[in-house]
Amino acid sequence: MIHVEFFDLITIEIPYPKVYSRLGYAKGTTTLTSRQKADIEKNIDEASGYITLKGAGCRLAIERKEEHKVVLSGAIEFNSQAISRFLHDSQEVLFMGATAGADIINKIKEQAAHDNVTAAVVFDALASEMVDEALSWIMEFFDYQVRRENKQLTPGRYSAGYNDFSLDNQKIMCETLQMSELGVKLNDHYILIPEKSVTAIAGIQPI
Amino acid sequence: MKLTSLLNTRIVILDGATGTELQKSGMPQGVAPEKWVLENPRILTRVACDYRDAGSDIVYTCTFGANRYKLAQYKISDVQKINTRIARITRRALGKNTLIAGDIGPTGKFIEPFGPVPFDEAVAAFKEQIKGLVAGGVDLLVIETMMDIQEARAALIAAREVTNMFTMVTMTYERDGRTLNGTDPVTALVTLQSLGAHAVGCNCSTGPGDMVRFIAQMKPYARVPLLAKPNAGMPRLQKGKTVFDMSPKEFSGYAGEFAKAGINLMGGCCGTSPEYIRELKKQLRNKKPQTPRRFFLSALSSSRTHVIIEKDSPLIIIGECINPTGKKSLQKELREKKTALLRQLASEQVRHGADMLDVNVGASGVDEAEMLKEAIKVLAVNTTVPLVIDSSDIRAIADALKLYPGRALVNSISGEKAKLKKMLPLIKKYGAMAIVLPLTDKGVPHTCLKRKKAVNEIYRKVKRAGLAKEDIVVDALALTVSSDRQAPGETLNTIRWCHDEFDAATVVGLSNISFGLPRRSQLNSAFLAMASSCGLTMAIANPLSEGLMHMRHSSDVLTGKDDKAVRFIRYVQEESGGTSSKSAALPASPQERVYTAILEGNRQEIEQYIGEALKGGIDAEKIMQEGMVTAINTVGELFDKKEYFLPQLIASAETMKQGFEFLKPHLKNTQGHREKRNVIMLATVKGDIHDIGKNIVALMLENHGFHVIDLGKDVSVEKIINEIKKHKSPLIGLSALMTTTMVNMQDVVDAVRKESLDCRFIVGGAVITKSFAHSLGAEYAADGVAAVRVAKSLSARKTE
Repeated sequence: MIHVEFFDLITIEIPYPKVYSRLGYAKGTTTLTSRQKADIEKNIDEASGYITLKGAGCRLAIERKEEHKVVLSGAIEFNSQAISRFLHDSQEVLFMGATAGADIINKIKEQAAHDNVTAAVVFDALASEMVDEALSWIMEFFDYQVRRENKQLTPGRYSAGYNDFSLDNQKIMCETLQMSELGVKLNDHYILIPEKSVTAIAGIQPI
Repeated sequence: MKLTSLLNTRIVILDGATGTELQKSGMPQGVAPEKWVLENPRILTRVACDYRDAGSDIVYTCTFGANRYKLAQYKISDVQKINTRIARITRRALGKNTLIAGDIGPTGKFIEPFGPVPFDEAVAAFKEQIKGLVAGGVDLLVIETMMDIQEARAALIAAREVTNMFTMVTMTYERDGRTLNGTDPVTALVTLQSLGAHAVGCNCSTGPGDMVRFIAQMKPYARVPLLAKPNAGMPRLQKGKTVFDMSPKEFSGYAGEFAKAGINLMGGCCGTSPEYIRELKKQLRNKKPQTPRRFFLSALSSSRTHVIIEKDSPLIIIGECINPTGKKSLQKELREKKTALLRQLASEQVRHGADMLDVNVGASGVDEAEMLKEAIKVLAVNTTVPLVIDSSDIRAIADALKLYPGRALVNSISGEKAKLKKMLPLIKKYGAMAIVLPLTDKGVPHTCLKRKKAVNEIYRKVKRAGLAKEDIVVDALALTVSSDRQAPGETLNTIRWCHDEFDAATVVGLSNISFGLPRRSQLNSAFLAMASSCGLTMAIANPLSEGLMHMRHSSDVLTGKDDKAVRFIRYVQEESGGTSSKSAALPASPQERVYTAILEGNRQEIEQYIGEALKGGIDAEKIMQEGMVTAINTVGELFDKKEYFLPQLIASAETMKQGFEFLKPHLKNTQGHREKRNVIMLATVKGDIHDIGKNIVALMLENHGFHVIDLGKDVSVEKIINEIKKHKSPLIGLSALMTTTMVNMQDVVDAVRKESLDCRFIVGGAVITKSFAHSLGAEYAADGVAAVRVAKSLSARKTE
């Protein structure tokens, strides 16, 4: 039985610099008037009201590693050289998933439909960055736990859809993490709904 | 010897790691340590005695995980009994000359508002463990390795509900000096010492080098002794075993620094053993303990930051906007139990410089107790600054105080006897501070003299409840000047008396002063400066008022509260743009104003400027071409040079669109112009639901005269083909965000070729590259500006 840890409210501060950076702000080059800055930050503040970060994480033992394949407990198989390499030194894996919730997606649509694409774009960028930060928070949570077992997490994480770790792997991750408990579903194209939802995998290895 | 006496004479020595000592003695991996030690009591006895013999004055019981949640993982349910038995064995082993601390570790669960475990349930779980430890004969309690301040609060409240026993609390901080949820050492200290912890400190996670910094940070604000249990440096793998990189000598080499920083109790955590404790004892033998530097501390905290309230320190602004009075949208939201606007108001106020936030949710049709609890839960997670719980409902205040993961300020208590009797024990129990309204059962005193009398009366009762002057803030009662011209003077006199004679912090509800008058913001700002010069500590005010915030910072400089004007200079710098902002000069002519409005994305004023330009006799076509089109082209150039980023580009495009709609009736050849427009069809391909990029492209193309037919997202090949045939669109723009959906672009291209339709493709999206586009026989556009450029180029070629 895989124990999934659910996080109902993930606490992070608004990552203003990351949001600016995501929107293409180039330090030292991009300039804003006070009005433009105030408008953007008002949008960020408003968007933050519609984001509720939830997450889930669970640990699974690695049973076998081959050059192009990793077998995890629960008969989970990933046929991916990239993942096999990524987990080279790991004995376990951490599955993690997070969502910014459906409210923000509805609000983005609403803004775009009301000819307020500027707000929609800022909302979209904030939600993306917040959900990414939520995954970092989950990693930090588990890193703290595994350190007491003299283990550590890999510094990075890997998401399905990159290199040869195909997007359909998101299905088993989504099911294992019981993402439906967070209100997240997978569509026929293996895309998470609501949109600002992510899953990822990290390795757990000895210190 | 009693612990309190011991603390006055020397630095008290704690024990080191227990788990690793048990493992050395044969405890296997994967077992419940608490169960294992009960099966192997001789080993438990030996480990405890080893620490005693090494010099530990206090030895922790081996009950770190002996709570209902952790024991349930091993299917053990008799929590109280296990704790009692371990405490008894430890007592028997150590005799009466070594103090035994009942060890309480984290549950591994998050407590509301940060997690699913109800606060009361967490308190009950800790009480169960504590009762067992107390029955087993421990001398004191230690709540340790807490990474969530709310869990530490729950454990401490549980301890206080069971016993008055000396209770120490230690949090575990990462090297950056914060817990996972962002609590720093001083913030934790403010919360925990006000809640009744007898000693506060840190353990685990870092070695002594980092931990000594945390002790030094806490010492100036500590009313209680400080303790530390660092790891023996950082762990590393050596011949398949985890070892820590510090020897006992290196570890104890930090003893002098800890003593200098003000440590009162010290031991070791992961990687330490009796040998480390022996060396530590040697090094600390002749070091004098520094007693706590404060008897009281006026300070407030959230879970992530704190505000220290000191005489003549810069004025504190409490944001007043979370109050439904006169705000219909907030009233509606509260009635519907929604919190989006609440969160937005909080973020806005903090961003504009509020140091704390007043939270008032009282409105007709709102269950105040329920809603306040909800608001506190949401704001405790979503905002960084301490909260002021503003309610007249005692039940609502009690629930909010219990749940708030920090030290809150209660707004307010007064001399109304029945209410005061209920409120003071609550404030004491949850370690809060309170605003004292100088009201009595007889009503509002209008003169300073009467207010002084009322404050003194209330303060006597405050003291009797075990609270200090540092735990209160006197409301100097700002009453409306329009109904009583003496009112401001009486308020200022009350502030001056509190500052010069009574020696207590003060607050005013600033906006009251200007009620019923025009230009309220000006009056509020002026009164703020006057009150500040009399020694006002904090004001409940609107931080979104620019004039008020300017006045706040200016008056801090002029009253000597902002030494060397450091804060003022930083404020001015931030105001002029932490993110490289600039103030635009006011353009001279109406047409220039139109140009600038588009350049700046000023949707609010574009119509006004176009109207002024038209009134000034400027031809609509000229406004369009020389003002608007020139501006939007400049915006494109600025975006290409990265001088503009995405929100600026889109804001300008939206302003252009709005301006064009406004100007359209005045353009002579609008109809003809429309008919001649180039048509482009846009779609996000099948399987892809991401359309924000495509929406930006659509907006940009419309502004550059294209007639855009937007088919939306997740569009099938069949639909695209049918629409191309229907509209005879010569240009097709396709977007995709995912690697899995970008391949569907090929299907569209193949279908178009199969049908021999005469059209060209422009493709884009996060994962699309130029080479992928070319492999499809399509043009590539990296962004909205590039899409316009490519579309114009393809249209021109088509025309030729």
